Amino acid sequence: MKRLNDLDYLKLNKFDAFLYKLKLFFCAIPLWFKNLGLGILKFLKNCGIGIKDEFCDIGYTFKNGNWAVKLSFFIFGFGNFYYGQIMRGLLFLLFELVFIGYMLVPSGGLYWLAKGNWFKTGSTIGTVQGGFKYDPIYDTDVWVPGDDSVKVMLYGLLTIIFIVAFVVTWRMQVKQCRICIDITKKGKKVRSGKDDLKSLLDDQFHKTLLSIPLFGIMAFTVLPIIYMVLVAFTSYDAAHDGYSNLFSWVGLEHFNELLDFGKGGLGLAFGEILGWTLMWAFFATFSNYFLGMFVAIMINKKGIKIKKFWRTVLVMTIAIPQFVSLLYVSKLFDSSGIIGKLIGQIPSVSEYLTSNHFISLWDSPIVAKILVIVINIWIGIPYIMLMATGILMNIPADLYESSRIDGASPWQQYSKITLPYMMFVMGPYLLTSFVGNLNNFNVIYLLTGGNPLNTAIGTAGGASVGHTDLLITWLFKMTLGSTESKYYMASLIGILVFVVVAVLSLIVYNIIPSTRNEEDYK
Amino acid sequence: MKMSKILSLILAVVMIASTLMACTKPETPENPDAGTADLAGTYDITMWVSEMDGVAAQFQAQIDAFEAANPGIIINAQIEGVTEADAGSKVVADVATAPDIYCFAQDQLARLVQAAALAQPGQKATETIKANNDAGSVAAASVAGTLYAYPMTSDNGYYMYYDTSIITNPESLEDIIADCEANGVKFRYALENAWYTASFFFATGCHSNWTMNQDGEFIAIDDTFNSDEGLVSMKGMQKLAQSTCYDSNADIFTDAGVVITGIWNAGAAADHFGANLGATDLPSFTVDGKEYHLGSFTGNKLMGVKPQTDAKKAAVLSLLAQYLTGEECQNQRFASFEWGPSNLKAQASEAVQANISLAALALQNNYGQPQGQIHGSWWDIAKVLGADAKAAKSDADLKAALESYAATIDGLFQMTEEQKNAWGVIGGICGTSWDVDFAMTEVEPGVYVSDVLSLKAGEEFKVRQGASWEVNFGVEFNGANIVVEADGNYKVQLEWDGAQGGVVTLIPVE
Amino acid sequence: MKNKNQLQKSLSASTSRRLGNTVVYILLIVMTLVWLFPFVGIVLESFKVDVRGMDGKFIPGEFGFDNYIRLFKETDFFRWFINTGIMGVATAVLQTFFVLSMSYVLSRLRFKGRKGLMNLMLILGMFPGFLTMILIYKVFSDFGLTMNMAPVGLIIVYCASSGMGYYVSKGFFDTIPKSLDEAARVDGATRWQVFRKVIMPLSKPIIIYTVLMGFMAPWGDFMLASYIIHENSAGMSVAVGMYEWLSKTMVNTNYTMFCAAGVIVAIPVVSVFLALQKYYVEGVTGGAVKG
Repeated sequence: MKRLNDLDYLKLNKFDAFLYKLKLFFCAIPLWFKNLGLGILKFLKNCGIGIKDEFCDIGYTFKNGNWAVKLSFFIFGFGNFYYGQIMRGLLFLLFELVFIGYMLVPSGGLYWLAKGNWFKTGSTIGTVQGGFKYDPIYDTDVWVPGDDSVKVMLYGLLTIIFIVAFVVTWRMQVKQCRICIDITKKGKKVRSGKDDLKSLLDDQFHKTLLSIPLFGIMAFTVLPIIYMVLVAFTSYDAAHDGYSNLFSWVGLEHFNELLDFGKGGLGLAFGEILGWTLMWAFFATFSNYFLGMFVAIMINKKGIKIKKFWRTVLVMTIAIPQFVSLLYVSKLFDSSGIIGKLIGQIPSVSEYLTSNHFISLWDSPIVAKILVIVINIWIGIPYIMLMATGILMNIPADLYESSRIDGASPWQQYSKITLPYMMFVMGPYLLTSFVGNLNNFNVIYLLTGGNPLNTAIGTAGGASVGHTDLLITWLFKMTLGSTESKYYMASLIGILVFVVVAVLSLIVYNIIPSTRNEEDYK
Repeated sequence: MKMSKILSLILAVVMIASTLMACTKPETPENPDAGTADLAGTYDITMWVSEMDGVAAQFQAQIDAFEAANPGIIINAQIEGVTEADAGSKVVADVATAPDIYCFAQDQLARLVQAAALAQPGQKATETIKANNDAGSVAAASVAGTLYAYPMTSDNGYYMYYDTSIITNPESLEDIIADCEANGVKFRYALENAWYTASFFFATGCHSNWTMNQDGEFIAIDDTFNSDEGLVSMKGMQKLAQSTCYDSNADIFTDAGVVITGIWNAGAAADHFGANLGATDLPSFTVDGKEYHLGSFTGNKLMGVKPQTDAKKAAVLSLLAQYLTGEECQNQRFASFEWGPSNLKAQASEAVQANISLAALALQNNYGQPQGQIHGSWWDIAKVLGADAKAAKSDADLKAALESYAATIDGLFQMTEEQKNAWGVIGGICGTSWDVDFAMTEVEPGVYVSDVLSLKAGEEFKVRQGASWEVNFGVEFNGANIVVEADGNYKVQLEWDGAQGGVVTLIPVE
Repeated sequence: MKNKNQLQKSLSASTSRRLGNTVVYILLIVMTLVWLFPFVGIVLESFKVDVRGMDGKFIPGEFGFDNYIRLFKETDFFRWFINTGIMGVATAVLQTFFVLSMSYVLSRLRFKGRKGLMNLMLILGMFPGFLTMILIYKVFSDFGLTMNMAPVGLIIVYCASSGMGYYVSKGFFDTIPKSLDEAARVDGATRWQVFRKVIMPLSKPIIIYTVLMGFMAPWGDFMLASYIIHENSAGMSVAVGMYEWLSKTMVNTNYTMFCAAGVIVAIPVVSVFLALQKYYVEGVTGGAVKG
């Protein structure tokens, strides 16, 4: 496509200019994909080079190292001992001993790995099924516990992680040997244990500070996520809960269920719910954002008195626990609630309700959807208002002053100064709040519980599907809210959502100006 | 100290011995000493009972009474209030830490059995329970003929509370709707809950019967909701659902003229209707000139005991559960909370007989269907019908709703090849009535053998494939039932040529 | 010297401003009413003596403290309240430590893998959180951290992954000029000393903001808490305990009591919040500026 020069572009009328821009955008798409492909190729190539380099490095170290370095390929820490790094050497050695000990002791690593039948489709996870035995003396059944698949899988996973950590550590200490070799070649002194400790409060301070929070994230977020990904390949549900009945590996079997687009099919339900979830997140985020900003501007307007009072009133919504206010509000709009009754008396509303045989406002899919968004505004505005207040105060006053002198109207001031500034500053916040709304369990669950029922779908995945159900409330119903407890299905859908959302927001996050140019704003 | 060591040693020896004896369930030898062991000791137990005000306190008092009646047994109970409707799903979520004794609504029994969350009462206890409780409640506490729980109430049904000053003819649904509309009062009926929705279908003779195997897995369904009768039911339901007086929230009485609910709302009903309180069976509706009396589910609340690893504690818990569901305790619960007893003697007491709500329930029970074991998903699938009837604009909509209902139900039973090829023994055997398939295993190609079954003379059975009657053998292919000639323990064997040739033999086992 | 034209212009400007302000006042008053309505409603509901369920009326027929008395006499509410309070304080302390160290490092220190770490945490935050609870629950139940020990388990759950919520405080640290650190580094301070002596004293608003958020988390959380508590009333938090009062079977007898409990729960949170509101605003705006 031919690119117009600036002069030609300016000649176009508004509509043509818009069309031109649109065309440009679409023409850029193939290029974009090409770049993406090239990027991936480059990444793969880099990976290949990286792996080759690693091996070269290891080979080099082994060839040029002395006996101690060579020995440390098998017994950790010898290289460090040789070069006088006693503390590091001891730590490495201890790690190796612990690892070997853990793998070999009875009911240690090897034991758990063997029990897991890893990825053998059709095999149970755990080998001993619990069962009942009759005890004639007491005339009663007793339970003889067997393996618990949940635990077998967990310990197996931990063992695998431990093995990976072992390999990484091995590599690390080989690398350190290499560094020591290089340093001594240059005739310098290697770092002592004391230096190491000191650096933890200085150059390596980030390691010290990060260690505990990162450990928390690894143990309580990363590990469970890996675990739940694995669950998608098993038959883990209420009927196979691991403790009473072992569950087994089923491979990709469940993925087929996702392709069912008939009534009650998971594909249909997933599509419908995903659509509403995205719509909800969009409206919830932006309605809050613009209205919150508007309120902040109103309160901060020159000449408005008792600013603190207005703010305090709004802030009360944040301070009162959501479950109290949301549950109360949902009852307010019920057919017997105060507001619900009042609105229901408006002739056109009552006609709408009766002609569709709705009892309360919550029974109408469209009204329920609007209501949750409106009530969410009520919840969300105070947060944005507070934030926007601070930002408004930060906008240099002379900007407004000079624009006023140039004869700008208040609306122009808003659209040309306030809005762009806010957009720039709050970009990342918008993204996180969008993601937060995708997973906004409280508002939906406490207000509607996902209702009214979506009769076009009925139930899917062992849980009924409602018009206001978000993916997260549906997943909740599917696992904890039903006696079916289809954990495998929930984790499968969880993974899908996760992948879609993660990719989208990574792209967005990395093109928002205020995060890309982190250092600019100081 | 020493004593307990010796005891545990003896116990261990006995346990090992009993393992070696290796007896499967149906043929456990009669044990004359059963249940006579010394149970003295201190037990820490956890319990879930109804969350209603005062229930937990009464259970504690009853446990105190149990301790007094059984010197030597000391029970430290920690009692929590958990809705019976949810108790099952919460127990299933974590069987290992579930409470030792818990109360639940019968519809969760199948899941609980499947999740091995219920310990069977011992042999003696089973006999006592079966003798003392009404047949419906015993059936409700059983899966495939085996008793798994202790019946606690027989009142989990619904009937009609109404305002006698407004409703002129409580027999007819149409008249009631007209009266309610004329007076601007609500007809409260939770049609968006499958438990209530079903009443319209029962009225026209539709049924939904589920078949389960011994493991508590559902293997077949016989459902006639999607039929001409079902369409009549939908039309009847539509009459109410599309009326201005209809309200699906039957747990509150605001503005109510009629409320279809159960005994748990007896107090609220009395408060609301005052002197005008009326209670009776559900009305009839008329479609195409024919009258249909609304049916209902009759249901029970049950008490379950979690499987224990310690036989002694299991025995104590069983004893305690028997006491708590016994005549005395059921009477106390009736007096305090109006829970209708399942115990036959308690049912016969004067106080129970005089209760207006229970009288209405008894009337309605003539049209009731005992709530057997129903697939957990059914509740979610069937409740949509109520909403469908309300939203329908034409008969075609109603028909479409029924068809999609049937399709969803069928979807629950997409059997695997393995299940379709499996053979089973089915009949009026081992306490079942043609509703359970006892599994058979292929010992060599073409030869299928069941586990040991204890059969009685005169009982009849057949073998069939894939829980369907398409391929089955009696005395010949698709032939008459096989009749057992003498009491005894047998294995059932089938030699099959893969088509219509096959021989069924009974192999006696000592 | 103003000529006539200018005078008129400024006059009309001031009237239009006055008009604008009136409109704004009206909007604000309407808004205040909308925002206050539920709270006034809850408070009035809690003083109803004549009904225990929902009666669809705003003003009680009869005022009294029966609901509050019932709350403490007949239920475990006091226990739940204490549990939640303990959780709030512990979470506030631990979470602040986690969040601040995370965000300080990401804002101030440059090291290999920093960007990758930030992206990783961003996408981890998108995984539906409660799915991870399925495993965590099983592990906790093995270690005895559920049921009556649930408060301890919940504190761990609230804090362990809290490092991922570093955005706001990282934004705040970003606004503290880097030259301050550099000056101190030149004077020979280690990074630890810079953190303690230079950054911390300047970070009062964000510390208070983080403490506040941590303190409030247990009061509002329902989903995770109800899972870990598993129906044990000795270990319940207010949210879980009170939720059951609105279940179908209990709402008729407990609705007004629920409102009374809501009022009591709101008191500590609202008072702490109002007292520290100034810092909250400073913290969140300082943070949001850079998000």
